Amino acid sequence: MRRALLIAALVAGVLAPLAGSPYRAPQLDVQRLAAQIEAEQDHVTAVELAQWIRDRKPGLRVLDLRTPAEFEQYHVPSSVNVPLPQLVAQQFARGDTLVLVSEGGGHAAQGWVLMRARGYASVFFLRGGIQEWDEDVIRAPEQKELSRYFGGDRRGGC
Amino acid sequence: MALVIGIAFGFALERAGLGNARKLVGQFYGTDFTVFKVMFSAIVTAMLGAFWLSRFGVIDLASVAVPETWLVPQLAGGLLFGIGFVTAGLCPGTSCVAAATGRGDGLAVMLGLFAGMLVSGLTLPGNLNLTARGALTLPEVFHLPYGVVVAAVVAIALAGFRWTEARA
Amino acid sequence: MKRYADPYVAGFCLGLVLLASFAFAGRGVGVSGTFVWSAAALAAAFEQAEAGASAVESGSSIAAALQTVLGIMVGGFASALLARRFKFTIASKARLLTAFAGGAVMGVGAYLARGCTSGLALSGGALLGAGSWIFMLAAFAAAYAFAPLVRKAWHS
Repeated sequence: MRRALLIAALVAGVLAPLAGSPYRAPQLDVQRLAAQIEAEQDHVTAVELAQWIRDRKPGLRVLDLRTPAEFEQYHVPSSVNVPLPQLVAQQFARGDTLVLVSEGGGHAAQGWVLMRARGYASVFFLRGGIQEWDEDVIRAPEQKELSRYFGGDRRGGC
Repeated sequence: MALVIGIAFGFALERAGLGNARKLVGQFYGTDFTVFKVMFSAIVTAMLGAFWLSRFGVIDLASVAVPETWLVPQLAGGLLFGIGFVTAGLCPGTSCVAAATGRGDGLAVMLGLFAGMLVSGLTLPGNLNLTARGALTLPEVFHLPYGVVVAAVVAIALAGFRWTEARA
Repeated sequence: MKRYADPYVAGFCLGLVLLASFAFAGRGVGVSGTFVWSAAALAAAFEQAEAGASAVESGSSIAAALQTVLGIMVGGFASALLARRFKFTIASKARLLTAFAGGAVMGVGAYLARGCTSGLALSGGALLGAGSWIFMLAAFAAAYAFAPLVRKAWHS
């Protein structure tokens, strides 16, 4: 029994480098993605994101696609800086909820398509990016509670 | 499901004799290499299984949660863990097995674990996120294809097995 | 009392269990999580604010963590019973003390590393997680380094 196992391990191990990648190739079901975009299931608003963060939504990962310098200056609390090329190479837990953030939302929207193609079902982008965050959460007069929770003043870095 | 997996896990550990602290500790005194053999046999089996099943589309490796990496905390935590491990002779999993097989020291380890974590939780800052790297994998670190790293691990394991057999 | 199983075969079976966990639960088998959660629950009961980072888990994963530990105990018990290896032994006071102390140190280590040998070294190791390997190598290194210092305790 022991010998058989060891031989099997050796064979399986030696063949592994020749097998290529164990990960599934990205699939782009454009019809489904288009439908999701139309149904507005692809993004969140800044207020929604703020509530998720405040309520400690389990598995929430906020990923900022901007440059390190921009990130340094200000970023959404609890977010991590991940440039787009790195984002599409990195593995995330399938159960997590990924929210992509960019300056105005454009980059993040592109990131959304790419991550959906990679098979991540629970991914969103911040519709208006950092700008929307700044207007609707930090400076917002109607969201006093949220504004205060997040520091209320953009000049103060993180 | 978790219950069934746990039962099988505990069963296999006990069969291997890892519910016995004295036997476990032999690894670190060069007298009993069971720990290394069991651990690496398990790692190689699960690793090869996951790799090939995913390669043939039976499972999706990307859907399996890889424990995340926090460089400094895991290095420091590992060192501390090792010290505690050789002192106690049991790790969290095997302490449960030891306790379940009637060994008083198994229970002592479990209580110690509980105490250590309680104190840590109360005194250490919550959410130690320094040097976090997410679900980083060795292939990503070394910029090598997954299969190559798999082969390397198998090679290391087999070499290790050879070496321990020669020693024993 | 039956002899212990061949370590390679036992390891192989353990690996199959891990594989089953990957395939059906989408994750490895972790033990320390249950301890962290119980400790955090206790701390919360005393209304301590700083009740640990990874403590706030969702309901389903707490249930799974508890089931895992319970399962491990049941499995270990069953195996010992079948092999006629079950015996109540209470070691010397000194041994119990070192066991407790070792457990406490491991508790801190597992808290920092967010895992233990099951969740990190075995599960994370099989999945080639970088931090898992770092943990495993550090733990082995430290254990070897510290072994001479506790040798006396093991020879009593």
